[in-house]
Amino acid sequence: MIKGIKRINEVEWELEKGFVPGMHVPAKFFLSEKLSETLEEGAIKQLANVATLPGIQKYSLAMPDIHWGYGFPIGGVAAFDMEEGIISPGGVGFDINCGVRLVTTPLHISEIGKVKRLINDLFHTVPTGVGTKADKTLTGNELDDMMHEGSKWAVEQGYGLKDDLIRCEDNGCMKEANIEYISKKARQRGLPQCGTLGSGNHFLEVQTVKEIMDEEAALKFGVSKDNVCIMIHCGSRGLGHQVCTDHLKDIESATKKYGINIPDGQLACAPINSDEGRAYFGAMAASANYAWANRQMITHMVREVFSKIYKTEYEDLKLVYDVSHNVAKFEEHTVDGIKKMVCVHRKGATRAFGPHCHDIPKELLEIGQPVIIPGSMGTSSYLLKGTLTAMEKTFGSTCHGSGRVYSRSKAKKEISGSAIKEELERQGIFVKATSNNVIAEEAPGAYKSSSEVVSVVHKAGISLEVARLEPLGVIKG
Amino acid sequence: MSFEELEHTADFLFRCRGSTKDELFEETASAMFSVMFENRKENKIQRKIKLSSDSPENLLLDFLSEILFISETENLVFSETRVKINNNSLEAVIYGGKFNINLHSGGTEIKGISRSGVEIKKYDGKYEISIIFDV
Repeated sequence: MIKGIKRINEVEWELEKGFVPGMHVPAKFFLSEKLSETLEEGAIKQLANVATLPGIQKYSLAMPDIHWGYGFPIGGVAAFDMEEGIISPGGVGFDINCGVRLVTTPLHISEIGKVKRLINDLFHTVPTGVGTKADKTLTGNELDDMMHEGSKWAVEQGYGLKDDLIRCEDNGCMKEANIEYISKKARQRGLPQCGTLGSGNHFLEVQTVKEIMDEEAALKFGVSKDNVCIMIHCGSRGLGHQVCTDHLKDIESATKKYGINIPDGQLACAPINSDEGRAYFGAMAASANYAWANRQMITHMVREVFSKIYKTEYEDLKLVYDVSHNVAKFEEHTVDGIKKMVCVHRKGATRAFGPHCHDIPKELLEIGQPVIIPGSMGTSSYLLKGTLTAMEKTFGSTCHGSGRVYSRSKAKKEISGSAIKEELERQGIFVKATSNNVIAEEAPGAYKSSSEVVSVVHKAGISLEVARLEPLGVIKG
Repeated sequence: MSFEELEHTADFLFRCRGSTKDELFEETASAMFSVMFENRKENKIQRKIKLSSDSPENLLLDFLSEILFISETENLVFSETRVKINNNSLEAVIYGGKFNINLHSGGTEIKGISRSGVEIKKYDGKYEISIIFDV
């Protein structure tokens, strides 16, 4: 283990104040002995650097999928005081409200038939990969409404059901959206891309529930063993990327303007209560709404493909939940025994609110928020539930996925995409991607084991396992 | 080719070199194209870019962001660039063709270009930069 890191218990580690100069609070991360081999020194330094930012509360935190990111580590969580604190685009990432949703179908695995046909149909229906456009380009007014209302807009346009909304974090809409701060360029990029999956690590996967660990919660969430499910992973597309690019520039100037000392230029930030901070937050919230509507429109396409092939009813495909894993939000948390509003940044981390917390669907109040953790291609994904321990220890947050260990270029050089595709097919998993390169880059071996990552958060109690899902087929951009 | 890819866990990290700043900008753009598209050969379509900025580094970042924007909104694949820099202004022509899913897909979408840490340095008479493309 890297020098200066203190082990607290089996899965919790701490960096005391002073690990890097100027830390206002200690840093803490969650990791198993096994995963500690994958820990990068750069990511730990980033975690410590975040603790130097003004107004940070309690701890700079990282989840077990921690790896080297832009400014903040991926897997990073940090909350800031609303008066003295800052907001930083590096704490959110370029893909604003990149997130995951899980949809159940009424089908048993025995009814799925030829997965290849299903995957091919999904691949041709959901625009996937670099350079693909949606069938329909939005009008300017539609884009405005979408950025104001998120999932609700999509449902009102006929891309879903009212019941979908209560199964989204914040009902699929951040009310703080301010489209005044969305540039013309961001708008232009957003118009043709709504209802598209994108590329890289984004995917749409057909899965089956392999194992149930918590019967009561699984029942409430609506999943049962051998049930066929769909997982959708994507974000705010070019619009969100442009918003990040535009505002990074302004926030960089603001960092100097307000005299904020940062140990790394990538931590550029502005006071939450400043013109620049408000502008970024309003634009970020509008992009988050775009991402929710995007995932909602893809869900609509999936429902239609299932109706066509399996004659299922539209409403029989039910949304379990939709989580965001790249976002900053104003939330109430307890700090030093006092309830207060803070600005929580989750950068490759998932909200995991426990029972009876704010924003949990009524019917799930006793259980806690569903948490969806995608595995890497060909490996298990998990459904978990949020906990009160997470509220206490991590501002109601947990991991977001498996976390890369292998660079894309190394993966491309050393792993053959076609061999991986064949190997997965032997295991009964059909992969349809725009190219073999994408399959090599996203090969299971390029990531930490999702099972190991999830077992850490489970042991730490910051979310608890409900069900394990295995892939049957996947489409990738 | 005067760009090379270095190890980076999550994103694409490149070191690019050029005898002149013009060439450095051209090479950095080529590095970016190598991430985005396969089979980059077309050069029939031209787009002109004119930009000014407050530093050479910001000029490069704005130039690359502008190419990303044009490529995405006009559905174009680019293969090469010609850049002429004068102080902190540039005029460039980028050459490419229409995106064809059967020919060009297989690259990775670039979400953004890391702004900080970007510093144009001079070694052995050559300009050099390390740059991260966030994907």
